[in-house]
Amino acid sequence: MASKLALNAAVSELRFVLCQSSPSSAGTREFVSKSYEAIKKANPRLPVLIREAAGAEPSLFVRTAPQGVEKRLSLANLNAADVKKALESLAK
Amino acid sequence: MSVASMSMWCRASCRASSLSLLVGGSTGPLLGGIHNNALVRTLSSSSASAAATPAAAAAVAPEEPPPVEVFVNGESVQVPKGVSVMQACDAAGVDVPRFCYHQRLSIAGNCRMCLVEVTKSPKPVASCAMPIMPGMQIHTETPLVKKAREGVMEFLLANHPLDCPICDQGGECDLQDMSMAYGSDRGRFVEEKRAVEDKNLGPLVKTVMTRCIHCTRCVRFATEVAGVHDLGVTGRGGSAEIGTYLEKALTSEMSGNVIDLCPVGALTSKPYAFTARSWELRPTESVDATDGIGASIRVDARGHEVMRIVPRLNESVNEEWIGDRGRFSYDGLRRQRLDAPYVRGEKGAPLRKATWKDALEAAAHGLRSTPSTKLMAVAGKLADAESICALKDLMAMYDGQNLQVEGVTPSSDAADVRSSYVFNSTLERIEEADAILLVGTDLRKEAPLLNSRLRRSAVYDCVPVASVGPDVDLTYPKKDLGDSAKAIDDLLSGASAFRAVLDGASKPAIIVGAHVLSRPDAYGVLSKCVQLANDVGCVSGDWNGYNVLHECAGRVAALDLGFVPGPKADVATAPGFVYLMNADDEATLASIPEDAFVVYQGHHGDAGAARANVVLPGAAYTEKGATYVNTEGRVQRTKRAVPPPGSAREDWEVVRALSEVAGLALPYDDVDGLRVRMAEVSPTFASVDSVQQSTIWLNGSTYAASKGSSKASTAPFTSSISNYFQADVIGRSSKTMARCVETRGEMYAKTHDVGSTLGELGEPSAHPLGD
Ligand code: SF4
Ligand code: FES
Repeated sequence: MASKLALNAAVSELRFVLCQSSPSSAGTREFVSKSYEAIKKANPRLPVLIREAAGAEPSLFVRTAPQGVEKRLSLANLNAADVKKALESLAK
Repeated sequence: MSVASMSMWCRASCRASSLSLLVGGSTGPLLGGIHNNALVRTLSSSSASAAATPAAAAAVAPEEPPPVEVFVNGESVQVPKGVSVMQACDAAGVDVPRFCYHQRLSIAGNCRMCLVEVTKSPKPVASCAMPIMPGMQIHTETPLVKKAREGVMEFLLANHPLDCPICDQGGECDLQDMSMAYGSDRGRFVEEKRAVEDKNLGPLVKTVMTRCIHCTRCVRFATEVAGVHDLGVTGRGGSAEIGTYLEKALTSEMSGNVIDLCPVGALTSKPYAFTARSWELRPTESVDATDGIGASIRVDARGHEVMRIVPRLNESVNEEWIGDRGRFSYDGLRRQRLDAPYVRGEKGAPLRKATWKDALEAAAHGLRSTPSTKLMAVAGKLADAESICALKDLMAMYDGQNLQVEGVTPSSDAADVRSSYVFNSTLERIEEADAILLVGTDLRKEAPLLNSRLRRSAVYDCVPVASVGPDVDLTYPKKDLGDSAKAIDDLLSGASAFRAVLDGASKPAIIVGAHVLSRPDAYGVLSKCVQLANDVGCVSGDWNGYNVLHECAGRVAALDLGFVPGPKADVATAPGFVYLMNADDEATLASIPEDAFVVYQGHHGDAGAARANVVLPGAAYTEKGATYVNTEGRVQRTKRAVPPPGSAREDWEVVRALSEVAGLALPYDDVDGLRVRMAEVSPTFASVDSVQQSTIWLNGSTYAASKGSSKASTAPFTSSISNYFQADVIGRSSKTMARCVETRGEMYAKTHDVGSTLGELGEPSAHPLGD
């Protein structure tokens, strides 16, 4: 599992945005709670920011070097497996 | 009236009863007996060891009795059982004049201004000290009441000087206001007025003791809220005086609040004395940025100058107090200011005034000509969220990944999970904690307002408090468990007796001081703290008692925005270009190599500007509408009270301008656009004035990557602030703060000369003063 989460070396920041309670964030919440450690293990020096705010649309932001371009993907209503896929599609 | 304020009141009355025994003053006789349990608890708490079982506190959790109906001027109102007549009048919206009563202090009942009539009582009664009875008929507008209050006023004025025109309280004086309603147009006294010698209470509080009406609010505040036994009443009747007995300055870090409490002009602000009249001032409601608490303040300005800073009411943050640094360091905003850009020609040359164009070009050249691996940026203690966000985006465009937050050991883990670096329980709910462990913090210096909340828990609710860290007097009993990480190991292994207390508590709390974050072994210690928090059940249900206390205003915002080193940042590589955003710490500056090109952005010519090659002048917190995040993660916004001096600009504008000069412009060109971007980086920024709870608590895996590399050392824990008054550049530029340090130093020397006798008396040793 850990090796699968090794991300592209150009990725300089991952950001998960989610709501504390809304059902549409549930999958994202499950994914970050379960896989944070694996992501960190596979990419030990990558900041993986997890930010919660009421009503926030669950999203994933990936910033890549060298221009610092940010890509965003909505994670609304995705389950944990789909969140993983989204992460891979954006950051592999 | 809310339930919360009622429970507040019950606490106050419990303090009233303790006061009556402790100082033997005239107190509310009728309320004295009500809270006997509370009284016993209060008194035993001061002698009992701090490790009393929390069960005692939990066992007396009050049940809500049914409300009681009373009639105020014929109107029926429902109030909780046991409240005072004055509370009932307040609940009914009927104003009762008062001098001595204050809802956050115990009841003294000694000014008699609050007289009202109640049925079946032949005499008017002091409403603040009289509990209600079911069906009680209260009258506040009768001729008898008016006459009685006029009588009280006449006696108060008999000995009060008629110096309103030269009194700083003039225009905002309770006595002056009430004499309009109850004062007589002529005096009947021909005797000479009583005069009282002024007391020297140090550099902050000015006294004109002849004006004192002996309400004892100041005495009660010092004893109950600030926890210092500095003030008291000496003498009786006509020769009663308020003072310190032996001349000494107030030793509290929140002493300035007695100025707001004093209903007359007896205690006024010394630095503000005779500088302005209250009606000339232009008030701006803002937020204090001199510490991590983020107290609500009002900045009173005249023209382009801040004349004074006073607190605003904010129950969830500062109640109605502020610390002395926040209140009095404003004169530092006028001195040592950077009012124009500066550029250093070549190495060793002095800084020279430059135009914005030249300065920005020099900075942009430095930025562009340095390889990305050698770029570094530091977010300092006074930096606001807008400029941090803009700087982060600017660095990203040049692939500069070495981003650091001042006072945090650089690590890509530091900002990952929000619950790992904020004060999760919130300031208000920390009072629900039933066992508290402090790690590496001196609360009295780092957050006096939080300390007074903890004092309330420890003294009035018998909450056991223990500390791993500096052995300092926090004004309440606490158990010292040692000063190194070994003590945390003992707690983890159960070898320490306090572990059982934490285990037995239903809402245990751990407060980790900012000092821990700055240690080389920060992540080793933090993972131990997180481990302990898990083991003792700090995080369960809606309670998260794992708290990190930041001592400065800029840090939480920087962490929220992810201002941490990226994967390519090599913290060990010597940086060639350093951008200091309000960063002036010695530790930060010491890590910058000689030949690095340094850009300093900030508002004071302090250490950072002295080291810089280019200085870009920014605005201080009173001069910009900027976002700060307090230690709880509460997003708050300041307002511009005065313009920045000279050609200084709001900080985010400077970064935006630099980005344009450097060739890659940031994608936002107004502050709203920037705030949208901030909310995109962290959605917490979207809701101002509220705390977004961080519910994700990654048990133990928070510091997965960095804990292995930093093992906890045995170096002793200290405080992140060694000198309360001069903890930031504003304090260091302030004359008033310098005077405080001097006075404290003198007092320290004095008490140490007579140290032996004081030692025998068992006095607590003097607080380690501004050393
Ligand atoms: S100095 Fe002011 S606050 Fe203190 S007792 Fe006198 S009038 Fe009251
Ligand atoms: S306010 Fe009631 S006696 Fe002073």
